[in-house]
Amino acid sequence: MSEAPRKSRKQVVEALHEVAAEMHNRMQRGDPPRMTLPVRTKANISFDNKLGVFKYGKNKTVRDATKLGSARQLLRTLHITEFIEEMIDSEKSSTLREMYYISEGWGNGKFGSQNESNNLAEDLEIVTKCLREDFKLRPEEDGARIIGNITVEERNRRGEWMRINCRDDVGDSGYGVPYNVEEEKLKLVDEDIDFVMAIETGGMFDRLIENGFDEEARCALIHLKGQPARSTRRIIRRISDEWKKPVVVFADCDPWSFRIYASIAYGAIKTAHISEYLATKEATYLGITADDILAYDLPSDDLTKSDLGALEAELTDPRFNTGWWQEQIKLMQEMGKKAEQQSLAKYGLDFVTDTYLPEKLDTMGLGY
Amino acid sequence: MECCSKTLLFQSVDQYDSIAISRRVGVTISRPRSIRVLGGPDGVIHMNEAEEISSKQKQASIGEFFEKNKHFLGFDTQQRAIITAVKEAVDNSLDACEEARILPDIRVELRRTKSDELEMMSQDNGPGIPRDSIEGVFGKFLLGSRFHAIRQTRGQQGIGITGVVMYSQLTTGSKTHVISKIKSDSSAVYVDLGIDTKKNRAIKTGEKRDIWIDEKSGEEISHGLKITTVMKAKYQRGKKSVYQYLRMTSIVNPHASISLVVYDKDGEIIEEGNWARTSNKLPRVVEEIKPHPHGIQLGTLQRMLRESADRRMTSFLKHNFSGVSPRAAKEILGMADVEEGRTPKRIKPEEAKAMITAFQTVKLLKPPMDCLSPIEDLLIKKGLSKAIDSRFASTVTRSPTVSQGNPFQIEVGLVFGGDLASEGPIEILRFANRVPLMYQQGGCLLTKALEAVNWKNYGLEQPGGSGIPKGPAAVLVHLASTNVQFTSEAKEAVSYNEEVFDEVRKAMLEVGRGLKNHLKKSSERKKAKEKFELVNIILPEISKKSSELLGREEPDLAPVITQIMNAVFLEEELGWDKETRLSMCSITIHNYTARARAYTILAKWPEGEETSMEFNPRGGRKEARGLWAWRLDTLDPGTSTVLEFGISGLSKGDWNEADIFFRGNGEIIGATKMDEALLDEQRKAEALEAAVEEVRRGGPSSSETIEAPEREGFDPTPNTDWFGMEGGNE
Repeated sequence: MSEAPRKSRKQVVEALHEVAAEMHNRMQRGDPPRMTLPVRTKANISFDNKLGVFKYGKNKTVRDATKLGSARQLLRTLHITEFIEEMIDSEKSSTLREMYYISEGWGNGKFGSQNESNNLAEDLEIVTKCLREDFKLRPEEDGARIIGNITVEERNRRGEWMRINCRDDVGDSGYGVPYNVEEEKLKLVDEDIDFVMAIETGGMFDRLIENGFDEEARCALIHLKGQPARSTRRIIRRISDEWKKPVVVFADCDPWSFRIYASIAYGAIKTAHISEYLATKEATYLGITADDILAYDLPSDDLTKSDLGALEAELTDPRFNTGWWQEQIKLMQEMGKKAEQQSLAKYGLDFVTDTYLPEKLDTMGLGY
Repeated sequence: MECCSKTLLFQSVDQYDSIAISRRVGVTISRPRSIRVLGGPDGVIHMNEAEEISSKQKQASIGEFFEKNKHFLGFDTQQRAIITAVKEAVDNSLDACEEARILPDIRVELRRTKSDELEMMSQDNGPGIPRDSIEGVFGKFLLGSRFHAIRQTRGQQGIGITGVVMYSQLTTGSKTHVISKIKSDSSAVYVDLGIDTKKNRAIKTGEKRDIWIDEKSGEEISHGLKITTVMKAKYQRGKKSVYQYLRMTSIVNPHASISLVVYDKDGEIIEEGNWARTSNKLPRVVEEIKPHPHGIQLGTLQRMLRESADRRMTSFLKHNFSGVSPRAAKEILGMADVEEGRTPKRIKPEEAKAMITAFQTVKLLKPPMDCLSPIEDLLIKKGLSKAIDSRFASTVTRSPTVSQGNPFQIEVGLVFGGDLASEGPIEILRFANRVPLMYQQGGCLLTKALEAVNWKNYGLEQPGGSGIPKGPAAVLVHLASTNVQFTSEAKEAVSYNEEVFDEVRKAMLEVGRGLKNHLKKSSERKKAKEKFELVNIILPEISKKSSELLGREEPDLAPVITQIMNAVFLEEELGWDKETRLSMCSITIHNYTARARAYTILAKWPEGEETSMEFNPRGGRKEARGLWAWRLDTLDPGTSTVLEFGISGLSKGDWNEADIFFRGNGEIIGATKMDEALLDEQRKAEALEAAVEEVRRGGPSSSETIEAPEREGFDPTPNTDWFGMEGGNE
């Protein structure tokens, strides 16, 4: 299921028209216009056994024009539809932020905030089963950086395919992952690695590079930049699928980092409609675990009120409903502590690459 | 009448040290200002009486007295001294203007002369003081015309302007410069005053006559008074300041124009206030009344008996008290076992005691209420609006009532929203007889009654469920009474009295209901506005856009709109018609349901002696006082109708919140269902009131037999809010 199903322009326009038609049909029958979409909360995601990822469940919500707020949403949706059609016709694309500003000219259909326009674009994806890329909408958040002995081909802005080795052809900041990592834009060509390591913080990414960890451990390092962008998750998925390489996630030990892992391995709640293209169910959590804080006697901070709230929420999050995660979360609640990746520096700059990672990888069967 | 005045007069003189106490028991003394009213025959008589008193009280030096009592005279701190001094001057000006029926223009200027000295200048456009009365007004403590008179005056609460003259002299040695001009004289009197503290009288120096030209306008002043003096004092800003005092004064005196400028030593302005006149209506002239038996104590009664020139007890009771009909007099005497023909002077103490008991037992008429001068709710609204920028005001003037023989009346105003700060406790503006109370807020009955209300029910936060509520609101509470009882001689806080407390609380509940209705209405209005926007703007755009995208015909939206709204909406708009000078109310009713609807719409309007429903093309009928009803034709689905009426007798902005009710099936968003039970109750009360009024006018014989209706938690005044209130009394 790695190949994202791409739709032709005609199919995209037709799918969008169905949304408008639902509204129009209802008005013709004398009913308030509406659109139906899945509930997008953790209460409505469930594990899809066939796909091995979390998807939206059966709960639907109806957005209808009986309240002013919802009616505005419908009008905006129609404006977006029109805007996408125009872009498809003129072969342009725009960022979500640009669309937000363009909406200034939409009168009563103008967005209240960028968040609102992002959500509406996602709603449209879900309802039409199209991808954002089909809509010619781009995020402005930049994707991840990669360093490691892998070779890709990327079609550049002049339409030419460029061959890039992510170790030899890039500087220390690595290869920048573009927002679109589908076949039409990016090809995975060659590799000489044993696994992929996704790293939460830039500081740790740079530490591993400086210590030459990618070559020593024969791996590709991917900097997640916090909560990973769609394209970051998608490229991890493709590497996993196409090259069959194990993926490990190296993050801080705090509730938010757990969610970063969950979005990579099981899919994010907000993008559960495309989990099967984004999630890498084979990804494993390397650390830092709650056990590690005790085992390595790491410097730690007290959990804040919001940390505790997040942990509590994770206990009921279906994505963390495994024995191991429940144990880790409860252990953390007991300790009341969290630790950063960089806390390993307590034992020196090389400790992470000389001791911690080899020991952890060894237990995962990835020893070198 | 004269006998009575003498009796009471001696009561106060007997106890020299307790000037303030005797005031507290309800007898107004030393209102020097009233002398200068016109210097007419009335004034002269009282002057003579007053001189008589002063001759009897040579025991203590007045200066010593002042020194000993300066804490309750309001001169205990330098910060407070200036507030008290301004207060005495301004209260005098307001009282004088009120009696002379002049709209007051009052100017106060304060100038720092040394680090701890201030020069105070106060000027009014009042009637002025005749030359020969000036010494009396400014120079003596116990002097006045009001010993015998029971009525509401501002001046009950202060020591009078003499205190200011005294304080200035004691602290800086300064004389008080007075310019006084009365209309009938061709020139003004200029005179410097000091006080001979041993002889308790004023010392006049430098007297001259001259034309008085106003510094500001450069025009000759035809009547007025200007006082300038220097005293040890410090100017302070904030909650307890001259500024705040004048601001509060202006709120309850919307007919006055008051200004304040405070200069630093180098002439720099450090504070400035300007409160313009918002009403040309002077407070009504209050009648003086005789004491009511319910408020009389044994000692007082005995003195009155001793001083009485009446020959018979029946005429003694009839002449000296209010509320005692001949029949009641007979009953009292019968019960006390006192023969009707006895001479008052000969009544023994036990008999007087028995009379006191009889006073409380025999049914008496209430004292007349026209001795009170309420501000009245419309003027409270105006006063508040000139000092506080707010969105909404709810005011109530309760009917006058009686406590221990003393008539009193409570008024409350609540403002909400606008510029008012939403954090922290609300501002409480307390007034007794139109005089601001600025100190001891916590210990005051007026505050306690406010705290006793559960404000959460009315839309204000109240942490802990009691105490001063929080939120963007301010509450004004005014106690008008012939006898304001204070907790101490400092006269800063009203003392506990169950009847007064109860009335204040009821008034608070009423304005609270007003606020609650307003908040409910605002939220309904917001909801209705949103729905209108939805069906009138957004929905047509959805229709247009989707049709464009699909290349289809636009659908008919009428049935969609009916489904979305599925209710009857009512919007009212209040406005002002410049040409006809009418306050207009326009009510639009939309039927957005699928069924035809029929309603009767009722509107509350400020019915009164001066207002009338001038424009009313739909006719309708009066349902009760201040409540008009119109029966509407059947309203078909998807249609709307407009109902308009106009009221004369108001000025622009007077009427800014209408209450609309309806009768009929199905709710109306924007109107309240008429509460028929309450309406019935109001009609009954009005009928009873009308009957009582008729009988009162019918003549003396019948007045004996009819008792005023007892008010049992029901108030038939048109100001009260009786319709469709929810939550009700706590």
